[in-house]
Amino acid sequence: MSLERPLNQGMPVIRKKMLNKRLKQNLTGYAFIGPFVIGFLSFTLIPMIVSLYLSFTKYNLFASPTWVGLDNYIKMFTNDPKYLQSLKVTFTYVFLGVPLRLMFALFVAMILNTSSRAVGAYRTIYYLPSIIGGSVAVSIMWRNIFSDTGIINGFLGLFGIGPVSWFGDPQAALFMLITLSVWQFGSSMLIFLAGLKNIPGEMYEAASVDGAGFFRKFFKITLPLLSSVILFNLVMQTISAFMTFVPAYIISKGEGGPMDGTMLYSLYLFRQAFMFNNMGYASAMAWVMLLIVGIMTGILFKTSRSWVFYESEGGK
Amino acid sequence: MKKKPALLAAALLLVTVLSGCGGKSENTGASTAPANTGGSGNSNKEVTLRIAWWGSDNRHTYTQQIIDMYEEQNPNVKIEAEYASFDDYWKKLAPQAAANRLPDIIQMDISYINQYGSNGQLEDLAPYLNNQIQVGDVNENVLSTGNIEGKQYGIPMGVNVLGLNYDPALLKKAGVDSIPENWTWDQYKEIALKARDAGLFMDGSMTADVFFNYYLRSNGFSLYNNDGSALGYEDDNLFVEFFGMLSGLIEEGAVPTQDKLSQNKGVIEESDIVKGTGIGVWQWSNQYVSLQKAVNRPMALAPMPGPGMEKGLYMQPSMYWSITSNSAAKEEAAKFIDFWTNSEEANLIIKGERGVPISNKIKEALGGSLSEAEKQVFEFVAEMEPKTSPMSPPVGSPEVVALLTDLAEQLNFGKIEPDAAAAQFRTEANAILANR
Amino acid sequence: MRNKLKWPVYHILIGGLAIVMLYPILWMIMSSFKESRLVFATARQLIPDPWVWGNYSQGWEGIAGYSFGVFIKNSLVIVIIATIGAVLSSSLVAFGFARNKFVGHGLWFGIMMMTLMLPADVVLVPQYVIYTKLGWLDSIRPIVVPQFFGVPFFIFLMLQFIRTIPQELDEAATIDGCGKFRLYYNIILPLIRPSMATAAIFSFYWRWEDLLGPVLYLNSPAKYTVSMGLKMFLDSESVSNWGPMFAMSVISLVPVMIIFFIFQKQIVEGISTSGLKG
Repeated sequence: MSLERPLNQGMPVIRKKMLNKRLKQNLTGYAFIGPFVIGFLSFTLIPMIVSLYLSFTKYNLFASPTWVGLDNYIKMFTNDPKYLQSLKVTFTYVFLGVPLRLMFALFVAMILNTSSRAVGAYRTIYYLPSIIGGSVAVSIMWRNIFSDTGIINGFLGLFGIGPVSWFGDPQAALFMLITLSVWQFGSSMLIFLAGLKNIPGEMYEAASVDGAGFFRKFFKITLPLLSSVILFNLVMQTISAFMTFVPAYIISKGEGGPMDGTMLYSLYLFRQAFMFNNMGYASAMAWVMLLIVGIMTGILFKTSRSWVFYESEGGK
Repeated sequence: MKKKPALLAAALLLVTVLSGCGGKSENTGASTAPANTGGSGNSNKEVTLRIAWWGSDNRHTYTQQIIDMYEEQNPNVKIEAEYASFDDYWKKLAPQAAANRLPDIIQMDISYINQYGSNGQLEDLAPYLNNQIQVGDVNENVLSTGNIEGKQYGIPMGVNVLGLNYDPALLKKAGVDSIPENWTWDQYKEIALKARDAGLFMDGSMTADVFFNYYLRSNGFSLYNNDGSALGYEDDNLFVEFFGMLSGLIEEGAVPTQDKLSQNKGVIEESDIVKGTGIGVWQWSNQYVSLQKAVNRPMALAPMPGPGMEKGLYMQPSMYWSITSNSAAKEEAAKFIDFWTNSEEANLIIKGERGVPISNKIKEALGGSLSEAEKQVFEFVAEMEPKTSPMSPPVGSPEVVALLTDLAEQLNFGKIEPDAAAAQFRTEANAILANR
Repeated sequence: MRNKLKWPVYHILIGGLAIVMLYPILWMIMSSFKESRLVFATARQLIPDPWVWGNYSQGWEGIAGYSFGVFIKNSLVIVIIATIGAVLSSSLVAFGFARNKFVGHGLWFGIMMMTLMLPADVVLVPQYVIYTKLGWLDSIRPIVVPQFFGVPFFIFLMLQFIRTIPQELDEAATIDGCGKFRLYYNIILPLIRPSMATAAIFSFYWRWEDLLGPVLYLNSPAKYTVSMGLKMFLDSESVSNWGPMFAMSVISLVPVMIIFFIFQKQIVEGISTSGLKG
């Protein structure tokens, strides 16, 4: 960042010129990110500060908040087993669901990365489940598939397993939720597709001429050139997995059952905020969530330096 | 860079507009501004009322019809409706309350009325009774269900009583001719086991908080104490007896297992009675009509088991109309509630969809226009009314209800022993209640 | 995949998977032709018996005098304005982050990521108060206006795509005397068309299915959206109108599918036909 280093050397005229250039660069930069800066300052900053303040209070949405110091934060980790359970469920959901979903999405994106007409139809079909997202139809359908007479148990029966009680066993219920998230892989698939389209076909042709096989091409061309998109999907899917609310809400009818097996963090937060009107406690939960997700994202960005390849930054 | 000046100008404009609101928004937390009383002493003055309720399409449609009817009869009043489904409704109201933007008239639920009332969001309607709102025809026990610590926070729209909604033919199939007069819990268990032997389920278990409260009342206690600051019973044996019975019936196979229950929860069409594999459902009487429609076979209503039925049973308001403290036209709002309660032509449209009407005169007037199922409900409620006792104050806490539902679920799964659950419920519920 | 022998295998594999993916949607469509009463009783049977068409006319009648067409029109207005705002503003901001060096670059990028990590539930009430003070209640402004200030998800998405474009391209353009804005408009924008199409698809769908915004900010039934309308058919306390609900769910899928169909072409054809690379 040579730009931000003080420029002590050189003649005053040049210095002034440099300063002007710097000023111009800054102005240009801010002109472009201006919309975000203005939007953040006007619609988001104050609500964020308010919620941080509320996290140190007891606030039921109606009466004025009363300051309770760190009580909410202390209660979370010492006196609320449900909270710890929701952390556990959420971590399982994120660490199993995100890799599965991304691998599946990448796999499908690669097979669909041709432009024949039939493949266009497949693309739409594969994307469809993601469109019906949080609708009631999905929840009802999903419950049907996993019921004791449903397709899944019928399939497992062929191997002499089961029937598994998907609604009775907390672990099984969480697994059901993870499959739902993998099934709705369409958005990640779409982004991978857009990324794959960015890779020039000549690179593959050149590699083929050199006699490279599928795996060699995959590891030497596809993965490196897709790495910036992989980072995007990894970061965004991790964040959104931590925030997942709708599937848990519709599968468990908002209760996080059985026995808190699907009590994802956001669901518990929602219950505290709007069912029990413990807005202070919910705010504290939100800020802990921000910290956790922030650390996870930070780690991803840190490690990304060693594996993400940016064309614009001279190869590394 | 042609765009830059325009962008900057837009930025400046926005900043100036918004800086005005930034400081003010910090009073988000602060609750109510002083009520804007005054308003419409003169009944010919133009008034606009906002009214909000929850429900589904059918309720929205007929409520709108009644609003249209009212506007026609009162040309100076304009009513703006706002409606949503039950869970969206509360999401909508909460920020409105925080921003002092609640509608003039809101539909209130028994589990929320105390929270809204005791935090100064609702108007005490006592001064309006028999002035703007005529309640001469209403049973005192019914009216008092909207009364919390001397303040009338809501006018009930209709009443329900608890009972068993069942299919008499399936009951016969289980070898039981009819539900015995003044039946007891022991007889209930006996019948349930007979149902199991006949390959049927007796019912779909019971909503934990509602029926436990009934059980406590029939023993002379209640779930919450009068001001809602603690539980209303001391003897944990009552908990053990009641929930031990429920989980016992599941263990015996007379009631579906908990995973079956949670699988089908909330979808009437998936319940055993609709599929013809279960005899009945324990629920409020206003839910009978739609259940009967889904079942599509002759059905009947039976009272709650005893002993102590008369102590336990009460008329429960299905929902209330409340007037908010920030309303600027409270008297006009009260007049609309009066119309709802006492107008015969309005109630011919409502037809008890929000519970059996509270006015005796209206109840009689409706007689002829009811469907078979509706008639059954009206008769059942009329039959039960003399046997009810006053309802305990509506001071419940959704958080305690969730806790109890949770523990009942664990009991049904066999993951916790009844006495451990009873103790846990007492400690945690009292902590929640003391801390609000 | 050009190997002829591989084609049947490919289609069996991918077609089989497609059936699995599609089954729930088929189930929903078929349910829209069943009587409400039979939707669950015959849940495991795909083909309706008898076929019922009335769900569509009944659903279209809507609620309390507002036909479903009103909800669709309201949703379309919100979604189209919001999507245009979101895609344009996000591409601008993404370019700002990708190709400009300025003081506070890292800070603002960090803030942007942070806004994604704080659950909306806890900022919702203060935000509501701000919109109240602005007098924006009961209008679509609280829903669409913020979209014009860049949507972090899309900003980050486009940023990642811009970063894969070789810097030499800019340098060449700059030497040509191209200003930054022209660089953005003439060079970068055409190159990130696939990611803009992706953003448009997402934005359209997210606004279309968004329930929280409309529930909070739209009070008059005349302004209600499709997502709100669909929920009105359901009632957790009594019998739900499943048939009309499914019928209108099917109808409400149509615009989203059309948008997907149009824009997925952009994704697939974007770069390969423009042939700017290599």
